Amino acid sequence: MRPRRLTAALAIGLARAAAADPLPELGYGLPRDASADGHRVDWLIHFTMAAVALVFLLVGGTLLFALIRHRRAHPAHYQPGRKGSIGLVLGFVGLILVAVDGPLFVHTLFDMRRVFWNFAAAEERPDVVRLEVQARQWAWQGRYPGPDGKFNTPDDAVTLNDLRVPLGAPVVVQLASVDVVHSFSLPNFRVKRDVVPGDITRLMFQARTPGEYEIACAQHCGPNHYKMRGILTVLPEERYREWLRTAEADARRAYDPDDAEARWGWDWRPE
Amino acid sequence: MTPAQALMEAAQPIHAPPTSFWRRYVFSIDHKVIARQFLWAGLLFLLFGGALAMLIRWQWGFPYRPVPLVGGLFLRGSGGLIGPAVYQQLFTTHGLIMIFFAVTPVLIGCFGNLLIPLMIGARDMAFPRLNMYSFWTFLLSQLLVLASFFTALGTAGAGWTTYPPLSTNVGMPGLGQTLMVAAIFVTGASSTMGAVNYVTTVIRLRAPGMTYMRLPLTIWGLWLTAILTALFVPVLGSAALLLLLDREFGTQFFLPAASAVRGGGDPILWQHLFWIFGHPEVYILILPAWGILGDVISFFARKPHHWYRGTVWAMIVVTVLSAMVYGHHMFLTGMSPLLGEGFMLFTLLISAPSMVVVLNWVLTVWKGSVRLDTPMLFALGTAFVFGVGGLTGLFLGDVSMDLYLHDTMFVVGHFHFTMAAASFMGAMTGLYFWFPKMFGRRLDERLGKAHFWFTLIGLTLVFGGQLLAGYAGQQRRLFDPFQYTFIQGLRGLNRWTSYFAFALFAGQFLFVANFFRTVFGRRAAPSGPNPWEVTTLEWSATSSPPPFHNFDRIPEVVRGPHEFSNPEVRRLTGRDYAGQAEVLPGGGEPAAAAGKG
Repeated sequence: MRPRRLTAALAIGLARAAAADPLPELGYGLPRDASADGHRVDWLIHFTMAAVALVFLLVGGTLLFALIRHRRAHPAHYQPGRKGSIGLVLGFVGLILVAVDGPLFVHTLFDMRRVFWNFAAAEERPDVVRLEVQARQWAWQGRYPGPDGKFNTPDDAVTLNDLRVPLGAPVVVQLASVDVVHSFSLPNFRVKRDVVPGDITRLMFQARTPGEYEIACAQHCGPNHYKMRGILTVLPEERYREWLRTAEADARRAYDPDDAEARWGWDWRPE
Repeated sequence: MTPAQALMEAAQPIHAPPTSFWRRYVFSIDHKVIARQFLWAGLLFLLFGGALAMLIRWQWGFPYRPVPLVGGLFLRGSGGLIGPAVYQQLFTTHGLIMIFFAVTPVLIGCFGNLLIPLMIGARDMAFPRLNMYSFWTFLLSQLLVLASFFTALGTAGAGWTTYPPLSTNVGMPGLGQTLMVAAIFVTGASSTMGAVNYVTTVIRLRAPGMTYMRLPLTIWGLWLTAILTALFVPVLGSAALLLLLDREFGTQFFLPAASAVRGGGDPILWQHLFWIFGHPEVYILILPAWGILGDVISFFARKPHHWYRGTVWAMIVVTVLSAMVYGHHMFLTGMSPLLGEGFMLFTLLISAPSMVVVLNWVLTVWKGSVRLDTPMLFALGTAFVFGVGGLTGLFLGDVSMDLYLHDTMFVVGHFHFTMAAASFMGAMTGLYFWFPKMFGRRLDERLGKAHFWFTLIGLTLVFGGQLLAGYAGQQRRLFDPFQYTFIQGLRGLNRWTSYFAFALFAGQFLFVANFFRTVFGRRAAPSGPNPWEVTTLEWSATSSPPPFHNFDRIPEVVRGPHEFSNPEVRRLTGRDYAGQAEVLPGGGEPAAAAGKG
C-alpha cells in the first residue's frame, strides 16, 4: 500500500513539474517571493506581526491575570485612577508610538519613495522594460513597444493573459482599463495597483527568480472576476530576447491596418 | 424639587400613555417601543445576513457542489449550485445587509433609542415624532432590500462598496442594483433623522446635574456615533443619489472616458465620497460598543472606571481622527504619494487613543471584584476580538504592506474582527445587560454562557481562518479561489473555516431560544428594577420596564456613573454602589473620587 502511494505521489509530482502551470505553494504563510524588493514588504509584515503579538500577549495576559486574581471574593479597590496608573497608560501608548508606529512609518516612507513608487529611478536605468497592460472584463492584454521603442505602432508585440519579463531588469507597467475598475496584482512580487478606467496607473517590480507566476485581478469586476488570471513568466535575459523577437515577428505578420480594435496602445507617459 | 428640576419638569410634562393598539405598538412615538421595533427589524435581518454568509462559506469550502437543504429551495434553476452571478450577489448583499440593515439598527437604532433618554434622565427624545419617522423610513429601506431579490436579474452584485462603473448600467444593468442603491439612500435618510435626534437630545435634555463628565460612557459612545452619522451619512446619501441618477437618468458623474464606457465623469469620485463616509462608519459601529464596554466592565468589576476622562477624550480624538484617515482604503488607486503618506500617518496615530481605551478597561478590572455574569463575559469577549481586529489594522494602514495585503482575505478577517465580531459581541453585551430593562426579565444565565462560548470561539476561529488565508495571498470575493494555483494548499483551511462558521451560525439559535423563552415563557421571574446592582439612572431611578413617562420625577444627578465600592457609601447604605441620583441617608456627600478620575 505504502510504496504504491509513494509512486503515485512521485508520479503526480513529476507530472506537475512537467506541466507548464506554476507550481502550487504549500499554503499557510506568504507565497514564494520572486522579486528583488518583496523582502521589504515581508520584513515589515514580520516586524508588525512580532510587535502586535507582543502587545496582545502583554495586555491580554494582564487582563487575564487580573480576572483570575481579582475574582468576586476579592474586595474591590475604590480607585478611579491615580497619577501612577494614568502615567502607566500614557507611557505604554508612548512606547507603542515610538517603538512600533514610528519604525513602521519611517521604514515605509523609505521603501515607497526609494523603491515601490520611485518610477523615475527605474525609467532612468538602461535595461528598463516598459510594458502596457490593458484590463478588460475578464482578461489582461499586454503590449511591448517593439524595436522602435514606441507603443501603438505596427511592430508592437501583443499578448493575452501572458506577460514575460527578463530576470533582474526593472519592469515598469502602465495600466489602463476599458470598462470597470480592476486591480493588477502580483502576489509573488508583493505589488498591486488598481486599474481605473479613464486613467493610466503605474506599477513597478524587478524579478529575482525565473519561473512562472500568477497575475491576479484583486478588485471585484463582475461575475467572472475569479477567472481574470494571467501568467507572468520570468525568463533569463537571452531567452527573453529570443521570445520577444518571435513575438514581434508574429505581431508583424498578424498586423491588420483595418483592425482599429487591436491598436489600443497609448503613448508612454513618463511620470 | 430643585428649581433646575422644576424647569425640566415644565419642559417635559407627563402625557397620558396612548390607549389604542396602533398608537401603542405600531405607530408609537415612545422611544422604548421604537427601540424594540429597531431590535426586531435588526435581529431578523441579522439572521438573514448570517444565512447569506453561510452560503458564501459553502462556496469557499465546497466549490461547485450543490448547497444542501436550502439549495433545492432557492437555487432550483441551477440544481442547487451557486453560480458566479449568484455568488457576487451573495457577498454584496451580505455586506450591505449586515452593515446597514442589521448591526446599525441593533447597535444604534435600538440602544440609542432605548438608552439615551433613560440614561440622561429624560422623558423621551427631543423629537419623538421624528423618531417614529426614522423607524418607518428604515422599514421602507428594508422592504426595498427584500424587493431587490425578486427582480429579473437578481439583486445587487457590485460589492458592498458599489464601485462604479461596475455598479452603473455598464456592469449591473438590473433593477435589483437600483433598488439596493435606493435602499442605501433611504436608510441614510433614516439614520440622519435618528442622529439629529440623538445629538439634540443629549445636548438639551440631560437631567439637572448630569454634566458631560457625568455621562455614562455608553452615552458618550452613542453621542459621538450620532455626530459622525449626522456629518457623514449624508455624504453617502448624496453619492447614492448621484449613482441613481447615473443609472436611471443618463447622467455621467461616475462614468469615465474609456473605450467601453464613454462618459465624462470619474469613478474615483465615488470612491472618495464612499470612503469619506465609509471610514467613519467603522467607528460609527464600534463607538457604541466601546461605550457599552466601558460601563459594563466597570459595573461588573464593581470598581470606578479607570481614568474616565482619559477614555472620554480618547473617544473624542478617535472620532476626529476617523474623519481624516479614509484615504487608506484607496492607497492603490494611484493617489499622490504625499497624500498616501499623510493618510498613513493619521491611521497609525489612531492606535494611540484606541490603546488608551483598551488599557483603561484592563486597569478597571485590575483590583476589582469581578462578577462573571453573561454581560461581563460578552464585554470581555468583545475586548478580545476588538484587540485582534485593532492590531491587524496596523498592517493595513501601512502603504507598503497594503501593496501585498490589500483586497486579500486578510482585510476581510480584519474588518470582520472589528465591525462584525466586536460590534456583534458589543451588541450582545448590551442586549444581555439591558434585557431586563426592556422586557422586565433576565435572560437565562446558563443558555447565555453557552451562547457566549459558542460565539467567542466561533468568531475567533472563522475570522482567524480568514486572516490566515489572506496572509497566504487568497484574494477576497473570488467565486472559486482555487483558480489560482499558488493557494491550492488552502483548500483544507477554507473547508475548516466553513465548518466553524456553520457551528457559529447554529450556536446563535441558543440566543434565539433564550430570547423567546424569556419573553414569552412563563418560567422567568420579574427581574426587579436593578438586578445588576448598578448606578446609572435607568436602573437606579426607575422601574423595569420603565413607565411610559420613564421617570415619575426628573432625577437630580449628584455623582458620576461609576460610584462603586466607595467605603463611605458602604458605611451609610450597606451597599457597594450609589445611584447617580441617589441621596444618601444622613445627607452627607461622600468624597466623590469617581467624578474626578
